[in-house]
Amino acid sequence: MELSFIIIDDTELDHFIARKVIANANKNYSIKSFLDAPQALAYIQEDNHDEDAKIILVFLDIYMPLMNGFQFVEEFEKLDQAIQDKYYIAALTSSIEISDINKINSYRSFRTRITKPITANGITQLLNKIATEFGIELD
Amino acid sequence: MAEKIKILYIDDEMDNLTGFKATLRLDYQVFTAVTIPVALEHLEKHPDIRVIFCDQRMPVKTGVEFFEEIRVTHPLPMRILITAYTDIESVIDSINRGNIFRFVKKPWVEAEIVSAIEEANKFYQANSMLSIKNEELQRAYNELDKFAYSVSHDIRGPLSGILGAINVARDMHDITEMKEMLFLMEKSLKKLDTYILSMHDYYSLQRGELHIGDIDFKKLIDEFKDIYKAFSNTASINFKININQREPFRSDTVPLKLILNNLLSNAFKYQNKNNDAKMVELNIEVHRGVATIQVSDTGIGILGNHLGEIFNLFYRASSQEAGSGFGLYNVKSALLKLNGQIEVNSVLNKGTTFKVTIPTK
Repeated sequence: MELSFIIIDDTELDHFIARKVIANANKNYSIKSFLDAPQALAYIQEDNHDEDAKIILVFLDIYMPLMNGFQFVEEFEKLDQAIQDKYYIAALTSSIEISDINKINSYRSFRTRITKPITANGITQLLNKIATEFGIELD
Repeated sequence: MAEKIKILYIDDEMDNLTGFKATLRLDYQVFTAVTIPVALEHLEKHPDIRVIFCDQRMPVKTGVEFFEEIRVTHPLPMRILITAYTDIESVIDSINRGNIFRFVKKPWVEAEIVSAIEEANKFYQANSMLSIKNEELQRAYNELDKFAYSVSHDIRGPLSGILGAINVARDMHDITEMKEMLFLMEKSLKKLDTYILSMHDYYSLQRGELHIGDIDFKKLIDEFKDIYKAFSNTASINFKININQREPFRSDTVPLKLILNNLLSNAFKYQNKNNDAKMVELNIEVHRGVATIQVSDTGIGILGNHLGEIFNLFYRASSQEAGSGFGLYNVKSALLKLNGQIEVNSVLNKGTTFKVTIPTK
């Protein structure tokens, strides 16, 4: 598949929901789950994952202990440009705090923002947008 | 008895100073200065001087000029001008530039000075109270900010999860899958419930008064031993309790229980899942009016750079378990009420020991 997924969230229920919603869109998508950001960062640093995937869509929760979404993105932006180019990071937040929204908008690596919970509609829209932007076939 | 109020008198005539001190030294702690540098020295050494009297007519600087300067550098003490010349110009000057509290006319009489000091002291106290209240208010505001932020995440987070699950359930037909999701929903709701209960603890600690009584640690521990025993059996964690109390101890049970419960539940929660010999140990010793409580675990430990922050409101150093970010903050608040102390020692992947000391009331 030209598109694959990484979910970074400290809440198991939110993983479950995101996986369900993604699988409902297409059950062949590959999805990796991480319950904390440092593990996900270590995984992304290794690179060479998903050779087939043109774009890896990352659902990144903002409010997490240890390393929050902002700290993750700051580390992510230090990685090789070639690695960064493969990932499309969506900020996932349950909050409607204006300070969070402004902060999310201030990072170039946050390509979009989704308010929890993820819904079928929301994901379809996002996938269509990515498909057009990167010339990916959705089936 | 309350400490004597500190007052300072500046006059270039030594005789005036001597007379002033002789009259007032029984009721007040009187500092005198024959020049302004000496006065400033007193003010540096005794920042709690509450009232300053100053003669208007002095060489080098007038009283008004002196007051004008120390208004900026020492704003707290009340300023009273002593003068024999009360022309309207100098009155206006002393009010506008010196921002003085009162005039005393020379030659002064004792009753007038005493009443000036008492009135000035009332003002001083009201002002200090105001600045303490201001600080408290600022702290409360800061916590309120943290709360507002936390509410939108810690309360809305689990709720949005449940809503998402209900959405997903509409297209779900597999019972096992459904049950798995219900289990996760329960976990999120329990987390929300813990959060709300801890918020209640937080509030009662901030507002509640102490109710001191005799503490029997054996009885106290018996009350919630069973909960942890049950927990220790299902998770196969060895739970050891040693209590050594041979003397009476007085304190408040509510904050005490809160401290013990938080430390114990943390010790059980943050266990190292790969460890075969899991253990939680509770040691309580009362000796010479001090209770020492130690809670040790064989858990995941806390990274050194998080240690300084674990007592902060909403700080969480692990994603392993559903922490609310309240627990240790509430422990610290409870200890503040009981004049207690807490120390923590932790080795990553080996375990953590919290040591609490509380004096008897």
